[in-house]
Amino acid sequence: MAALAVVVALPVAFVLLQAVFPHLAQGSFAAPFSAVWPTLSHDSTLPLVTNTLRLGVSVALGTALVGGALGAVRGLFYVPGARLWDLCFLLPFLVPPYLAALGWMLLLQTGGYAQQLTGLDAGQFLFSLPGLVFVMTLNIFPVVYFAVSRALATTGSRLADVARVHGASAWRAFARVTLPLALPAFAASLLLAFTMAIEEFGAPAALGARAGFSVLVTSIEGRFADWPIDLPGASILSVVLAVLALLAFVLQHRLAAGKDFETQTGKPIASPPRELGRWKGLVLLGFAFVALVATVAPLFSVLATAFSGTLSGGLSLANLTTAHFAALLGQGAEGLEALVTSLSLALGTSLVTGVLGFLCAWCVVKSKMRGRVLIDGLSLLPHALPGIVVGVGLILAWNLPFWPVTPYNTWGILLLSYSCLLLPYPVRYTSAALRQTAASLEAAARVHGAPAGVALRRITLPLVMPALGASLMIVFAIASRELVTSLLLAPSGVQTVSIFIWRQFEQGSIGQGMAMGVVSMAVSGTLLMLASRLGNKRERAA
Amino acid sequence: MLHRKIIATLTMAFAASVGVQHAHALTVYTAGPGNLSKKLAAGFEKKTGIKVDVFQATTGKVMARIEAEQANPRADVLISASWDTAQDLEKRGWLAPFQSANASRVPTPFKTTHYVAQGLSALGIVWNARSGTPEPHDWRDLTKPVYRNLVTMPDPALSGASADLLLGLQARLGSEAWKLFDDLKQNGMVVSGPNAQALNPVLQGAKAAVFGAVDYVAYAAAAQGEAVKVIFPTSGTVIAPRPMMILNTSKQQNEARQFIDYVLSEEGQQMVAEAWLIPAREDIAIKRASFRDLRLLPQGDAQSSSTSRADVLARFAKLNGQHSR
Repeated sequence: MAALAVVVALPVAFVLLQAVFPHLAQGSFAAPFSAVWPTLSHDSTLPLVTNTLRLGVSVALGTALVGGALGAVRGLFYVPGARLWDLCFLLPFLVPPYLAALGWMLLLQTGGYAQQLTGLDAGQFLFSLPGLVFVMTLNIFPVVYFAVSRALATTGSRLADVARVHGASAWRAFARVTLPLALPAFAASLLLAFTMAIEEFGAPAALGARAGFSVLVTSIEGRFADWPIDLPGASILSVVLAVLALLAFVLQHRLAAGKDFETQTGKPIASPPRELGRWKGLVLLGFAFVALVATVAPLFSVLATAFSGTLSGGLSLANLTTAHFAALLGQGAEGLEALVTSLSLALGTSLVTGVLGFLCAWCVVKSKMRGRVLIDGLSLLPHALPGIVVGVGLILAWNLPFWPVTPYNTWGILLLSYSCLLLPYPVRYTSAALRQTAASLEAAARVHGAPAGVALRRITLPLVMPALGASLMIVFAIASRELVTSLLLAPSGVQTVSIFIWRQFEQGSIGQGMAMGVVSMAVSGTLLMLASRLGNKRERAA
Repeated sequence: MLHRKIIATLTMAFAASVGVQHAHALTVYTAGPGNLSKKLAAGFEKKTGIKVDVFQATTGKVMARIEAEQANPRADVLISASWDTAQDLEKRGWLAPFQSANASRVPTPFKTTHYVAQGLSALGIVWNARSGTPEPHDWRDLTKPVYRNLVTMPDPALSGASADLLLGLQARLGSEAWKLFDDLKQNGMVVSGPNAQALNPVLQGAKAAVFGAVDYVAYAAAAQGEAVKVIFPTSGTVIAPRPMMILNTSKQQNEARQFIDYVLSEEGQQMVAEAWLIPAREDIAIKRASFRDLRLLPQGDAQSSSTSRADVLARFAKLNGQHSR
């Protein structure tokens, strides 16, 4: 409970306090609310809010088209190579969004790789709202794809078959049975896509700035991190952003209530998916096209840049080099340090959120303690909190002079922020698994004399371990590449992989940044694969 | 009691990390080339045994951090890319006076009682020789139709040196400067990010030239084989001395002074030169144009420049349709 207060409640409270009391950073409670109206009524505020909404809605629509269509086909029909496609669509989700955005820029801008290879010049398109939406849609659509395909696969076809047996036409069965059943999951995943789009920093910062298109997140970062700073303004806009995200989250929660579409522990269904028949070729073409665009294209661009000696040299054998990778290891081993920092932080975050998330989920689902509603709310709140808001809150909270010890300016603050942001994953996965375990198991252990702690450790923990483990892998993957709070909070002398890449892009060699991206994706990808192998083995042994 | 053990271990590790905080490390906040800061820190550590924690970002971000930490300052030494920021901090009374013995070879315009240049950069046009456009020779050339939609400029709100150019051009040209910016805007110039972000499209050929790029970034790129050329405009340009200063809140004044001495030592200045900056000391050999070779616009009057800095930046941002703030 105390840990939850420190990790989640404190930063949120300070954002609100700062928004109300503009002189909080000087330790003064003078002139409450005096900054609220000037900030909200400022010329730039309305465009920021409408831009944010336009971006969020457009990306949600884009993901609905791409993810919805592919997900529906994948869920209802037998698609050759289905697992391969799943893997392909999981990848863009694992590529850090800022790296993908930079990759797209190098690929599509005038003189970019696409023009060098095919003569295609999409520079005008890329640096515009549609371009930004295009890039972000390709990063986010897997959320919708997986939600829709799983929802349709588990609920749709069996009941639709029943309808068919009772004489409904194929179309009617789809429209009256399958569609309504899948709609909540579809809508909920769209709202999730909306939230992710309005929270994202890297892509709008890289592409939007050139298009003269700024959103709340980039503006908050600017107010907070560029001189002269505007703490009250940043906090007030943070509150606006958090409210937008919260609204979407509440809606999503309503829609998804009782239908936890993220659980992949559902029982396998007996009825086999239908054949595609003559549509097979077209469908395969569609899947291949999306995989090519969403996964292969940005990765190609990242790899090409990492292995190119100079940007102006373009794609040619003479320009091929491994010098950027060598440079990562040379000169003070700055890059290596960043890699170690990121991986340790990701591991630390997995441990902290794992322990805390398990305890939270257990308190909420299994215990009868008072305040469990509060725990439930607090532990899931960060899902609706944009990363930048958490970062702002942590600085405001911990940079005050009166704390005897403070994690500010140590790596501890990064651990705190990652833990706050990622806590909801283990909580959600674990509580879903806990709901499926019968209370009698733990009770039996207690009856046989095991103290509560032992019952928890020997009975409950092993039962939820697969779900917890899966969620911790997500935590690890996201923590190892988190950008926006890292930019705000990293202490002097500490760099993460994401900061290293971002700074290289801002101030140094883009090739070296891309090389870093390749190395970090390879290392964390390998670690995750090993972890999942180990997990599988243990499960089989058990 | 596995959980309790894990929690206890984590708490202890956390407490330990909070407690340590490098009791004797020197904290340096610096804008500009990251490799240079790393090298200087490593060299200093080797020489004195004092560990240096470096926070490196753009001038805007470094200054923001200093401002945000006002209640609880962390930085001992600050190296900015804009002379203007040092003037501002001195006026606020945040700086400790210090004159390094090694500063005797630094020309007078680049040192005061409270701060001294680490090195200098000059602003120029960076042009991609393979872009198929004619080589530009002056600022105004970039308003010509052949450069339509082919020019970028670093954002002066983010790049300290670029802000110095803006102030320099305004001090020298007055309303003519704004006509120039307006014409550039009409000709499709885009303002984007700090230095490397403005340079990258020029490297790949998406754009032909950067208006007002810091020279060292482009020299370094050219040295790596990129097909770019640094051109100093015929009508004159602006140099941006990079001021080093000691914050008067620093609890390590002595170590901070040693650090500045080190940067101004022959060894330190050699590293500055290797990063393609102009060393602050005149007696260091360099492989690039020195500031004496450059035709300079007169520096803006110190008093007026720092009072109008915010206005100039706001006017520029408005002209270019940026409404990020």
